[in-house]
Parts: sequence; structure tokens; C-alpha cells
Amino acid sequence: MTATTTLPPLRASGGTATRRGRKSWSKFGLVALTPFALFLLLFGVYPAIELFRMAASEVRVIQGGFQMEFAGLNNFTRILSDPDTLPVLFVTITFIVGAVALTVILGTLLAVMLDRARFMKTVAKRILIWPTVVAPVVVSVIWLLLLSPTIGAINKVLLAAGLPEQGWLGEPVGAMLSIIAVDVWHWTPLVFLLVYTSLQSIDTEVLEAARVDGATEWQTIKMVVLPMVKPVIITATVIRLIMSVKAFDEMFLLTHGGPGNSTNLISLHIRTIFFDRLELGYGSALGVAIILIFALLGGLYVLAKKAVTGRQATNA
Amino acid sequence: MPKTQSRSSLGVIGTIAELVLVAAIAATIVPILWMVALSFQPLKNIIGADINLGFSLSNYTDLLAPGNPLLAQLGNSLMIVVGTVLLCLVFGSLAGYALSQLVIPRMVLLPLLALTAFIPLIPPMVLVPGLYATMSSFGLIGGTLGLVILNTVFQLPFAALLMKVYFDGLPPALREAALIDGASEATAFRSVMLPLVKPGLASVATFTGIMAWNEFLFGLTMTSGGVTAPLTVGIASLVQPFEVAWGQMAAAGTLAAIPIIIITIIANRYIVAGLTAGAVKG
Repeated sequence: MTATTTLPPLRASGGTATRRGRKSWSKFGLVALTPFALFLLLFGVYPAIELFRMAASEVRVIQGGFQMEFAGLNNFTRILSDPDTLPVLFVTITFIVGAVALTVILGTLLAVMLDRARFMKTVAKRILIWPTVVAPVVVSVIWLLLLSPTIGAINKVLLAAGLPEQGWLGEPVGAMLSIIAVDVWHWTPLVFLLVYTSLQSIDTEVLEAARVDGATEWQTIKMVVLPMVKPVIITATVIRLIMSVKAFDEMFLLTHGGPGNSTNLISLHIRTIFFDRLELGYGSALGVAIILIFALLGGLYVLAKKAVTGRQATNA
Repeated sequence: MPKTQSRSSLGVIGTIAELVLVAAIAATIVPILWMVALSFQPLKNIIGADINLGFSLSNYTDLLAPGNPLLAQLGNSLMIVVGTVLLCLVFGSLAGYALSQLVIPRMVLLPLLALTAFIPLIPPMVLVPGLYATMSSFGLIGGTLGLVILNTVFQLPFAALLMKVYFDGLPPALREAALIDGASEATAFRSVMLPLVKPGLASVATFTGIMAWNEFLFGLTMTSGGVTAPLTVGIASLVQPFEVAWGQMAAAGTLAAIPIIIITIIANRYIVAGLTAGAVKG
């Protein structure tokens, strides 16, 4: 039944699968996938190969071109001996833990609150996602105007209240707290949106049943609602982890990784090595190291998920 | 008339919820409004120690004055958005359709899906050295076309998967009926299936458009700045370590943010669909 037997009288283009059966694959499908595959190969796979090649080479820029000389694992052993490696790792992990934990907790809290609210519901649902759609560069501008030691609004308010001024962006701990706060402002709405979307799919009868059984509002949230959205909270955490390793734009403008190395996230570090120090091979080696860590963590995640859910494994 | 207090009154948690939301809305809006307000202030009000608010368009007239690269940068950003959205719509819907409705040999399908899943995981900064080498060997460094391509590469997996989700919602019998009626595969796709996933196309367009408008890293690393750069890089260049053009920075930030916020208000549900689906897949 599924195999078409009639030859179409008019054909818009060639390459259609008129003798296609359910089991045989579609020529049109391959044609349709070609641009997509070409993009991924030319600008995804090929750059990755170049990256690996540069990582294994001593790279010089000569008259705008790259000259590569095979250097084996030299660039990788240098990662281990570089005095910058440990601070960058420490800063990156501190940032990830702080930013991910706070966005997930606050986002979940906001979602649960929105679910309970009535008057502010519609307005809040629409406004709260604004930080997430605004450009990261604009987020930096917004926060520079608030946090700047010279013209920042926060200092003006502190001054007016007769309190000591802050110089957070210029102090190691203050700068780290600032970039975490900015990241929380930027991305809490995403977690909120994910959790809220999943909250809406909870059957109201379940909540009604809890109420009839005499559960207080708080008990309902803790014992019924949160366990039901646990999978989405885990998903949101994974997404935020991936995003926070990528973090670059906001910190590039807010702190440039400073003062000293105190907010030098891995992305900022690679940019400096690549474009300021022009150490292309070493920068690539750092990139390769991160890709390998991601592949390893991804593999572990898939394995763990398989172990947990058994046969009904992942499709993500 | 029995009073059931659970439905009509707020209760403790309900009251807390309303208050938390008011606070969250304020925390969202006040920083944005402050930037917009400062963009209309003369410099003396911005750098003064007190909070003085007046009104002046000087930041905007300075930004848009001849010789200032901002207009060219706005144009570049618009071209990048248009190019990226078009490529993502065409190639993303083709790929999403093939993945959803057609039979693809596993030898092609599995590596493609693996790539589609892996590319969004990699921090773009990590790939920049390799991308830089690639783009320079194609002669695409420093131009808008190069940025269109890079934006497309990083948005296309999302666009294809989102379109696949929408095509999954259509019954396969539709396509089969079109084929039996004598339509070619291409006609079945373009005239029968594609018109039914317009919400998906709208989602892909708004979402990839916003991402391309907001993109900074590739603009920073693949152009030489000035009139070749997109708007985001232009804004960043107003922030110099020792001299920040505060007023112009606020004005340029406002110019970049307000269109996006307006689109978010108008096309809210498409953006929500993009954010939730994109996040789940990415």
C-alpha cells in the first residue's frame, strides 16, 4: 500500500522516490539532508580536524598564513606545567558551581511561585524572560552601568545613603561574585521557563487529591510538585552546566578576566592565548582538552542514564 | 453560602508568591530601564555623584553621526540576521523533514545525529582556532558572509531538530496521499507538508534571528572591527579599559535591546517554544 505505483504526470524536480517502499530509503531525503550535512562537515568537522592538527603543531603566523610544524604532544604537556592552568581551572569551576546552583534554585523557586500566583501571573510570565533574550553584550552594558566603581548606580545609591562605596569589579572576590550575579540575572529565566512549562503539565487532580488528604500548601509543593518536576530540574542543571562552560561575552566586557586571574574563565583564557599571545598551537591544545573532557563526561552521562533507566535509554 | 477559603483567598504561600513575583519583575526591569534612562542623559548627569535625570538626545546623535561606524554595524547585524534566518529556515526545514518523515540509511543518519547532538555542546570559543584557520583558507575572514555562515553552523542543528519536532506532529498519511495523487516528493514537501508547520517556521525564524543579532564571539574574532563588525562588537568597542563612552554605550545597548524585547512581547509563544525546545535539545 505504501509503495506508490503511479508515475506522476508532472514533476517539479528530479530525484524523487516514486518507486520508494517503506523499507527502502528516500533519495529526496538524502538531497534534503545534503546542505545540512555539508554545513556541519565544512564548518564543524573540518575546523575540528584543523583544531586537532594545530594542537599537535608548533604554529606560526607568517604573512597572514599559518605555518605548522609537528610538535607531538608538546602543547599538551605544556598545559600541565603552565602556572596559569590551575588558577583558570579553579576560577572556572567556582563560577560554574556558583552560577549553576543559583540559577537552578532561583529558577525553580520562581516557577513554583508563578504556578501559585494569580494576580501577577500573566505579567510575570511575559516579562521575566527578557534577560534571556537580550544580547549578552547588552547584559554587560546594563551591569557595567550598575556596578562601575566610578559611575555605577549602586555606588550612587550607597553614597546617598551614607554607606561606603563598593569597588567589586576591581577586587578578586567581588569580581567573581559580580560575574556570578550577572550570570544569575541573565539565565535564571531560562530555568524558570523550563520548570514552569513542566509544572503546567501536572494534572490538577493530583494537587486536588493532596489537598483533600489534608496536605498544606507547603507540603504539596515539597512532597508532590517538586518530585514530579525533578527530571526537568536535572535537565535544566545539565543545560546550565554546558552553558556555563561556554560563558564568555559578559565577562569579556565586565572584567576581562581580571583583576589578575581572578575571573579568568577558560574561554577568556583561550582567547588571550590565541589572539593576544598568538600561541595558536597551545590555544588549540586547550580547546582539544576541553572537547575531550566533554566527550568523556557526555559518555559517562549516557552510561549513567542507561544504568538508571535500563532498557528505555536516551534519545537526546 | 458556604465559604471555601482555598479557592478564593490567597493563602500564605499565595501571598508570598505574589510578592516574590513583584520583586522578580522589579529585578528584571529596573536594570534595563536604568540603561534606557542613562542613554537619554547628558554626560554630566551620568558621571555626576548624585542621581540627576534630564533629557538629551546627544548620545544618539553622536552614535549616528557620519563617521561613526555604528550605522554600518547596524546594517551588518541586520544582514547577518536575514542571511542566518533564511539559511536556517531553508536548510533546517529540509533536514527536519527528512529526519522526521523520510527513510534515511543508518550509515548517514547516525553520524549526522551524533554531530547534531555534539556541536551544540562544544563551547564556540574552543573551536575558534580551528574555525579561524578554516575561514581564512576559504577567504571568509572579515566579511558579513563569513559571519552568516558561522551563525548558521551553530544554529542549524537547533533549527533542524525543532523542525523535526513539528514535522513529527503531522501524520505520514498526508505525504503518502500527496504522492498517490501524483505529486513529486519535492511538491509534497513544499505544497502539502511545509504549510502545515508554519508555527515551527515562525519559531525557528524568531529564535535564530535573535541569536544571530546577539552573537558576539565570532564577530569579535573573525572581523577586524570598525565598519566590518556587527553591532555587538561595536558596543564592546565603546568599553575601553581606560575610557568608557558611558552615554553612547547606554544608547547603543538600548538600540540593541529594545527591538529584541519588542519582538519578545509580540512573538512570545514562538520564543518560549524555541527556548524550551532549544534548551532541551541543546
